[in-house]
Amino acid sequence: MFRTKRRAVVLVAAVITGALLVVVLVAGWATSGKRDVTDVDGNPSAVLYTTGHRPLAPDFTGTTLTGSRLSFSSYRGRVVVVNFWGSWCVPCREEAAALAVTAQQYAPAGVAFLGVDVRDTTASAEAFTRSFGITYPSVSDSGSQITLDFTAVVPIAGTPTTLVIDRTGHIAGAVFGQATYAELTAILGQVAGKAAAR
Amino acid sequence: MTDVRAPEAATTDPGPPRRPARGSYGLVAWLKWGWRQLTSMRIALVLLFLLALGTVPGSMLPQEGADPAGVQQYYTSHPALAPLLNHLGLFNVFAAPWFAAIYLLLFASLVGCVVPRTFRLAGSARTLPPRAPRHLARLPHSAEYGTTLAPEQAAQVAAAVLSGHGFRLRRPDDPAQAWVSAEKGYLREVGNLLFHLALLGVLVSVALGGLFGYKADRLLVQGDTFSDTASALDEFHPGRLATDADLGPFTITLNRFTADYITTGAQRGEPASFDAQITYTAQPGGPSRTDDLEVNRPLSVDGAKVYLIGHGYAPVFRVTDARGQVVFDSPTPFIAGTTGNFLSDGVVKVPGAQPEQLGFTGVFVPTWVDVGGTLQSAFPAAENPAVSLIAYAGNLGMNSGPPQSVYELDTAGMRRLTAEPQLLLPGQSLKLPDGQGTITFTGYVPWVSLAITHDPGQVPALVCGIVALGGLLLSFMVRRRRVFVRARAAGPTSTVQVGGLARTDASGGFEAEFASLAAELRSAHSQHEE
Amino acid sequence: MPVNLALGHVSNDFLIAAIVIYSLSVVAFAGDFAFGRPRRADATARVRQARERATALAVVGAASVAGSGEGPQNRPLAGGDEALPAAADSMPELPVPPLRAISQAGPWIRAAMTLATLAVAAHLTAVVTRGLAVHRAPWGNMYEFVTALTCVAAIFFLFVMIRYRAWALGVFVMGAVVIALGLAETIIYTAAGQLVPALQSYWLSIHVTAMTLATGIFFVAAVLGVVYLAADRYARRIAAGRAAPGNGIMRRLPSTEQLDRLTYRTIVFGFPVWTFGVIAGAIWADQAWGRYWGWDPVETWAFITWVLYAAFLHARATAGWRGRRAHYIQLLGFASLMFNILVVQVFITGLHSYAGVS
Repeated sequence: MFRTKRRAVVLVAAVITGALLVVVLVAGWATSGKRDVTDVDGNPSAVLYTTGHRPLAPDFTGTTLTGSRLSFSSYRGRVVVVNFWGSWCVPCREEAAALAVTAQQYAPAGVAFLGVDVRDTTASAEAFTRSFGITYPSVSDSGSQITLDFTAVVPIAGTPTTLVIDRTGHIAGAVFGQATYAELTAILGQVAGKAAAR
Repeated sequence: MTDVRAPEAATTDPGPPRRPARGSYGLVAWLKWGWRQLTSMRIALVLLFLLALGTVPGSMLPQEGADPAGVQQYYTSHPALAPLLNHLGLFNVFAAPWFAAIYLLLFASLVGCVVPRTFRLAGSARTLPPRAPRHLARLPHSAEYGTTLAPEQAAQVAAAVLSGHGFRLRRPDDPAQAWVSAEKGYLREVGNLLFHLALLGVLVSVALGGLFGYKADRLLVQGDTFSDTASALDEFHPGRLATDADLGPFTITLNRFTADYITTGAQRGEPASFDAQITYTAQPGGPSRTDDLEVNRPLSVDGAKVYLIGHGYAPVFRVTDARGQVVFDSPTPFIAGTTGNFLSDGVVKVPGAQPEQLGFTGVFVPTWVDVGGTLQSAFPAAENPAVSLIAYAGNLGMNSGPPQSVYELDTAGMRRLTAEPQLLLPGQSLKLPDGQGTITFTGYVPWVSLAITHDPGQVPALVCGIVALGGLLLSFMVRRRRVFVRARAAGPTSTVQVGGLARTDASGGFEAEFASLAAELRSAHSQHEE
Repeated sequence: MPVNLALGHVSNDFLIAAIVIYSLSVVAFAGDFAFGRPRRADATARVRQARERATALAVVGAASVAGSGEGPQNRPLAGGDEALPAAADSMPELPVPPLRAISQAGPWIRAAMTLATLAVAAHLTAVVTRGLAVHRAPWGNMYEFVTALTCVAAIFFLFVMIRYRAWALGVFVMGAVVIALGLAETIIYTAAGQLVPALQSYWLSIHVTAMTLATGIFFVAAVLGVVYLAADRYARRIAAGRAAPGNGIMRRLPSTEQLDRLTYRTIVFGFPVWTFGVIAGAIWADQAWGRYWGWDPVETWAFITWVLYAAFLHARATAGWRGRRAHYIQLLGFASLMFNILVVQVFITGLHSYAGVS
């Protein structure tokens, strides 16, 4: 009787182990291989979302560094580059020049640039924009609430992060980390059209 | 020959398993031998010792997880020994593979022991107690008395009494024989097995919690708000299978933080209470609620818990650069050092200053006192705050390169502007030489450090812990015992013999129980005589 | 609420009185050793016969049993509680009530038990008044903890002594209590004061109370373990022919099996309490520090203590590890407990550094 009991135990253990193995393999297969983003410039942190897989950007309102109210819905119909930055953040300072140049280049095409200033104070932020010649407005997000809203749709893990939002208000491209001029123009070329850059 | 020895006599370890018989050196035979070794009590004992021994260095040496600064210090004070200890994994004992090997082997031994015993228990729960032996007087506890009832009747009455006490009975197949066998106390083994399985449950819960949970930190200055998103956290340590998406979408504003300290007596300077008044929303756009965060009183929100861990002071500075622009106006958290009474160190970086970037290293003292030329703090509350600053100008190194800590100033590309540290009281300004600008110490605000944790294995671990405790109590308090009653005809009357035995090791009291059972049987028999 | 310093002083006075009366009780217990009636700390002879039968059964099977008793001084001390009818009847005896057993044990034991009870009363008063003085459970720092745990040990041991009539062990346990309290008074005394915020929680009452109780119980088990080892060593020397069985102190002690069983039952009582204390500590740690187990040094050593006592319980079920070896393990467990209280909490910084000892 003991023999058959032991066999029963072994069989049950084997079945459970096998089932666990199957579950793990299936889970691993299911979560891998997302085919809805493509990398830009070979950098996995800079992505383009294929049409149909673009998340909808949340609407938000905020106060700019100069104290006026700004509503994101006022940008509807335009391509918007939203850049999350802070004056304390070293990579933000490094990419600032690229952003300033790209903003000026794409302004005639109607592409808007908007900064979201995270965990910062007005005096330091204004000093930053002055230093790097940033002329486009930034809204203050010292409490990270705007960041929280965006994190619900794209995985914003740190600062800086740059999102490119198409004319329908969907997020078409993103750079998670410091953005280079090449990456920005590559994404904008896809989203705003090649004829946009002058 | 029925086995009337004390029950469970065979559960003591019979000795080390024999090696496989000659001629059967196959792999399976050796695996079987290894498995029997592993699940023996002897090896369990050895593994328990190893577990205790292996835990010792984890408490004596600084550990990476809890005290990384201490580990660094150990490296500097023991330069030769430290790398060797690191190779052995002694600076992270509880994550070391050898430690994991010990407790995994221990649990394998546990499972290998417990599962067969569970089957055995299930089997024994179905088998009946053994037949009553002939000579009950030879049992460790026995009693004998006479009754006028017939033997079969006496046995019947005895069966009723014992059954009323919850014993499981065995009656003879032949009704002419007059005896009853009774056994009780199966719950002991149930408790034992439950305890061991619950320990396994604790291990699994801890593992699951570690895999799917996270720990995060955030320093929040009074008046500021923060939202629970990865980029807003100072530190975020998710488990292997946890991601940013597991963070709950709450927002917390620190309205006011107060710390009370004992002002008189031997405990002067010790903290009396901390209180952080916060407003929070569980999701964006949701209703906002207020709460009082205190030590021992965390906030539960969105499946996570927010704890008040520490606090400090953030002096507020306003910096005007050479061009007259206000380029910095913000509270700057300073971190308390080890000298006591919240003497705090900090750094002010002003990358927006033109034409040269400015930097300051400083010390904030809540209650300042000059002791022989050095600045010290006399009391942790801000009764007499002051700040002492050293100014630098040049390149902060922030425009390119690796990210910097906000609490450290890299003066490699800077030159010192002030020869001596300058003491400032609230409202005072320091005019920098060469017209570089001014820095004003406008005041201070407190800051708190919050820990945000999520541990899905927490409640299961607690439940398993309580079940383990219950099983333990059950296995200690319940004895396995057997009682036999035999009635023999003695002329027109009967002689009733009662015998009982129990494990002598078990918590005592069987003598008293047997005595009272015997007395009860006797009185039941006399009652039925009428 | 401000601390009532006057009541704190009253508490200290009661503690000193307790130490004095404990010392007197130790003297009385020792006097029983020297001058008292010779006896073994035993239950009735019938029970001993029962055990002998059980041992014989286990070894030989259904062999018949040897005779009873060892001599006149080992007859049951009880007078005729039960009216035994005719010769065919033999019923097991119900035990002697405790007070009568004490009075029958001789004048030295009567005095010792009276003094011990008085001392425990004074000790308990000291602990309670300390609690009233500081408006919280009186185990918030090491001095209070040691005072409370020795009180638990003393009360528990009084209970054990009375239940098992183990007067002979009184001198050892009460002596240990005196030494512990003396150390508490002289080396680690802390004036009554407030608690730091991290300790201001109702979990203090639950976690530290459980640890105090368990430590007090393990304290008794440790003393009994030492006595066991001494008795066992003596028994082995007699068996080896190197000592005569007439040694006064040893003869008065209970047999090694009884000591072993008593120690085992004590640890069986204390182990679940310790387990509960660890669980309660984990719940409190989660409330205060954000994680229920962080391998803080005190947590780690509490775990080591738990593992060692678990090893003791396993050793008792392992052939070749019963007896002396098991008791070594048990004493090692107690040593780790003491190390935790006296060294780790004081000298190793961690989240648990609330000893209040400067």
